[in-house]
Amino acid sequence: MPAEAVAVPFTVGPGLRPPETWQEADKTSSVPLNRGVIKGQAQSRMNDTELIREAQRGNHAAFEELVRQYDGAVLRLAYHLTRSESDAQDIYQEAFLKAYRNIGNFRFECSFYTWIYRIVTNLCLDLLRKRQVRKEDSGVVTDSDGGSYDLLDQVADQRSGASPERDMMRRELGARIAKALTKLTPRERMVFEMKHYQGLKLRTIGEILNTTEETAKNTLFRGTQKLRAALRDMR
Amino acid sequence: MNCEWVQQNITLYLYSELADDARHEVEQHIARCKACAAELADQQEFQAQLNALPVEEPSASFLAASRMRLQEALETAEQKRAWYHRFAFDPTAWLRQVRFSPALAAVIFVVGFGGGIGAMYSAMSGKAPVPRVVSGSPQEASISGITSIEKEPGTNNVKVQYDKRLPESVQGSVSDPKVQDLLLYAAKSNENSGVRLNSVDALTSKADDPRVRETLTYALRYDSNPGVRLMALDGLGSYVKDDIRVRNAVLEALLNDSNLGVRSGALHALEPVRADSSVRMALQQLSKEDPSEYIRTESGRMLASMPNIY
Repeated sequence: MPAEAVAVPFTVGPGLRPPETWQEADKTSSVPLNRGVIKGQAQSRMNDTELIREAQRGNHAAFEELVRQYDGAVLRLAYHLTRSESDAQDIYQEAFLKAYRNIGNFRFECSFYTWIYRIVTNLCLDLLRKRQVRKEDSGVVTDSDGGSYDLLDQVADQRSGASPERDMMRRELGARIAKALTKLTPRERMVFEMKHYQGLKLRTIGEILNTTEETAKNTLFRGTQKLRAALRDMR
Repeated sequence: MNCEWVQQNITLYLYSELADDARHEVEQHIARCKACAAELADQQEFQAQLNALPVEEPSASFLAASRMRLQEALETAEQKRAWYHRFAFDPTAWLRQVRFSPALAAVIFVVGFGGGIGAMYSAMSGKAPVPRVVSGSPQEASISGITSIEKEPGTNNVKVQYDKRLPESVQGSVSDPKVQDLLLYAAKSNENSGVRLNSVDALTSKADDPRVRETLTYALRYDSNPGVRLMALDGLGSYVKDDIRVRNAVLEALLNDSNLGVRSGALHALEPVRADSSVRMALQQLSKEDPSEYIRTESGRMLASMPNIY
């Protein structure tokens, strides 16, 4: 059984080098990249590898450009999973700060996409476990601000207008689904979220969770069965 | 292939995760087997139900606010690091000294800044075309609130955490993402309508960006100040033809806005699309029933200038 936790190295980032090296690194950067040049080069297809190397050398514009490539997707995942704006923002913040602190340790053994998603996924799993411990399966969730809200209220309906009855039914179904999702283990929930709602391939999901595609597949099956059963029971 | 195998793989089939040959097998089997076809239909319905909880793209202002918060945290992190190195300061040694000083009733941990938030950060970013960040010096920073007080048990040491408010400014082009994020945030969240007005004004030059249009549309729909709503309408006017969401928002403004100036602005903005069926229907209703004579007359005029009236 693969370990639940995914190891993300926490040790020295570029910031804890002795002062001389830090300043030297800046001076010896062969291409004096700043935001304007980054933009221009992005247009001429500067690849991720270059951006990452620049970010590792301490180039903030490069790091910011990397963030912008992924942060929309990260926020979307965090918000859909947690159903809380403040929790989603916290995960977003933590994830990119971690990325910032650890970018020196990125060894190009996997894609940057996988690396970032690993960080985000671990933060999401932590939150889901915390929520489980607090037995928040009654449909009421406490978010990071200490405020509590009913899952029903969180189901925003953008497509309202056609028929109030249909809107109501839709919202109720949404709340039921949200509640059914809490019946999954954090891992099952994560795999389900990534496969069904975020559309990632099982193979990618396996990589992100540091496990095999087969394991991810089985986790998906278990999650799906539980969900179907839960929804049937709720009718 | 037997039913058991097929039913186990229906989930994967629906997620397009099956290899081509397996997919072919499943399709072939389902065409012949009622039970498995029923299972497929059941799973399809289940998946459709899941769409009652749709994934929403984070709104432009939510993303902008998150980015800004991140930026502040990054700047603080960078500040601490550079400051730490600059003065070769060892906080643990300082702490040890302070700990054994019985005369001290409280210890305030100050996270001080050498050159002001942002100054160090933008210096690290390198020169040229970066938007200029101008920060107030730390003396100008004021304490905006105490967030926590922790007493170390068994000693007289207390840790007080407080927030400081430090004014800053950014100068640059509206095309710059950093500036744009701030504008999008200000347009939605600021309490001062003058600030919102100026943000919306600045954003109108970038209305070709759908993210900006979304914020302008939000302002048109929900801003409490009619001047801001009018400004947003000005920016959106040229998009009523191509962007259906803009058209709908302008139509809603025409029908529901409380301010006559905004409504007549909306009416004129809809001129290029007056032949659109929903617009035409609205015009017909307005020309007969609207309490304002101006709106009645203008709608009538717009209807009359069309080739066919039904």
